[in-house]
Amino acid sequence: MHMSQTTAVRPVAARRRPGRGLYVGLIIIGILTLLRAFAPAPPADSLADTARDFVTLSISVVIESLPFVFLGIVLSIGVQIWLPEGFLLRRLPKNVVARRVVLSLLGMLLPVCECGNVPLARGLIAKGLTVGESMTFLFAAPILNPVTIITTQQAFGWDGGILAWRIAGGFLIANLIGYIYSRHPKPESLLTPRFREACALGDGHNAADGKARRSAALFTKETSAMLPALFIGAGLAGLIQTAVSRDVLVTLGSNPVWSVLALMGLAFVVSICSNVDAFFILSFGATFLPGAIVAFLVFGPMIDIKMLALLRTTFTAKTLVQLTLIVALCSAVLGLAINYAV
Amino acid sequence: MPFRRLLRRWQGALLSVVGIVATVWLGFSGQLGLYIHPRYFVFTLVMAFIAGVLVVVAFALLPATEHEHALPDDDQGRWAWLWSAGSILLIASATVGLLVLPPATLTTATVAKRDLNGSTSNLTQSEASDLVGGDYSSFTVRDWSSLLRQGAGEDFFADKTATVTGFVTPDTSDPENVFFLARFVVACCAVDAQPVGIPVYYPGWQDEYPIDSWVSIESGFDTNPSISSEEAIALVPSEITPTDQPAEPYVY
Repeated sequence: MHMSQTTAVRPVAARRRPGRGLYVGLIIIGILTLLRAFAPAPPADSLADTARDFVTLSISVVIESLPFVFLGIVLSIGVQIWLPEGFLLRRLPKNVVARRVVLSLLGMLLPVCECGNVPLARGLIAKGLTVGESMTFLFAAPILNPVTIITTQQAFGWDGGILAWRIAGGFLIANLIGYIYSRHPKPESLLTPRFREACALGDGHNAADGKARRSAALFTKETSAMLPALFIGAGLAGLIQTAVSRDVLVTLGSNPVWSVLALMGLAFVVSICSNVDAFFILSFGATFLPGAIVAFLVFGPMIDIKMLALLRTTFTAKTLVQLTLIVALCSAVLGLAINYAV
Repeated sequence: MPFRRLLRRWQGALLSVVGIVATVWLGFSGQLGLYIHPRYFVFTLVMAFIAGVLVVVAFALLPATEHEHALPDDDQGRWAWLWSAGSILLIASATVGLLVLPPATLTTATVAKRDLNGSTSNLTQSEASDLVGGDYSSFTVRDWSSLLRQGAGEDFFADKTATVTGFVTPDTSDPENVFFLARFVVACCAVDAQPVGIPVYYPGWQDEYPIDSWVSIESGFDTNPSISSEEAIALVPSEITPTDQPAEPYVY
């Protein structure tokens, strides 16, 4: 009784003073801007090189990923609030296999990077997509999207079938995972309790609230879920990069088995965006066997440190361990098959 | 607890503001290139602007705390204070990292982790071949290091003069006499940076040029006089000019 009274009264009271929040917000933005503009430069060498590089690498991950996360949240707001109810999901085929196939090609229309796909997938689950289907979309979209395909083609051309293997591998693994998790007896148990409750509550506002207010509420909710994960993931990626020497991975390059595992390890650590990972790995083209490069290009967009931190906002730790093992196993098999058979 | 509810509602918006202010300031002060490839500049700034509008709209339209029923069950748990502490720590760390510490490039510590010239991060074989006969005066550290790595040979380098700028990092095989004039090659962001460099034979260089300081060199190539260095060909300059870090310290 007490709760329902509070619920009914609080927002109305808050709405009577719409300007106050705006002033508070602008003051916070102003203070942080002044802080950046006038932060005193610390004396040179106040940070050891390694600590400085840790900060630089972590910031680099944040600055590079943040716009994609914002784009994903904006698209998620579009899907959940601005598009007519069921606009996207209603158009999907009824047959489950065909449905997953279409979902794995959704990245062709919404070419967001993998970090942006997480908030978008959360929005789609909230709108009724099953957990298995959301995984198919999450894992296929970073690879089966026009930007990734064009950059991979630019980097490798048609040589060695690297582009074809990448597309086929991404498509098959994403659909396999969708199939496996579609058979789960309690798919909702794969989601974190917090996200489950968020889905049950909808966007937390009734339809009487304007779309602008609901969009703003969803933005704060999604940034509160995604950004802590992104910042922690960026910190971990920076930390591991300053702690682990890349030489160790690169020296394993010419062995058909180790090269595959080494490049998958590199993909996991580097956490690089799928749109440009082909250019990055091109630099190792002479060192590594083609199967290792394909394993890197298939495994990296699906699973890496940053991606796991972001996915943890939505899926339980146990689910993520299973997903990591399945994707790693499939990518390794694909890479080894190419190394030995082609 | 009101503070916890306030934090839960606004931590995303606060982290967004930290990220947006940092991005926009880096963009307008010309330092975004310290972290990401220039092809992302426009996209990054446009998304920062859109997110900035959404943050301001959220501050203007939303009540300070979430509805009671919108709170997850674990909000009232015994360890809920730990969540608040972690959240504050995260926001404080992000603020210090992005808004207080000065922007910086990667250093020699990362060169050591990433095998200088260990990859062909620079250019493919055919691209390197195309360089031969090009305009040598405009060649970057990346171009020269590619040619050295592709084994262009002493004859090729005999009459060539390089005019290059980079930072100083020691040659591990002969740190007394040889250093590398190095740059990082970036494909996407600083995370994927691969170091490339040209060996420079200059005994006693440590006394004049600290590691990670930036220098410009105009010099011809020669057989590397060093006995222990693994580099066969090196720049052997008579003069090295200290310089400021360029606005775009990475090469692409």
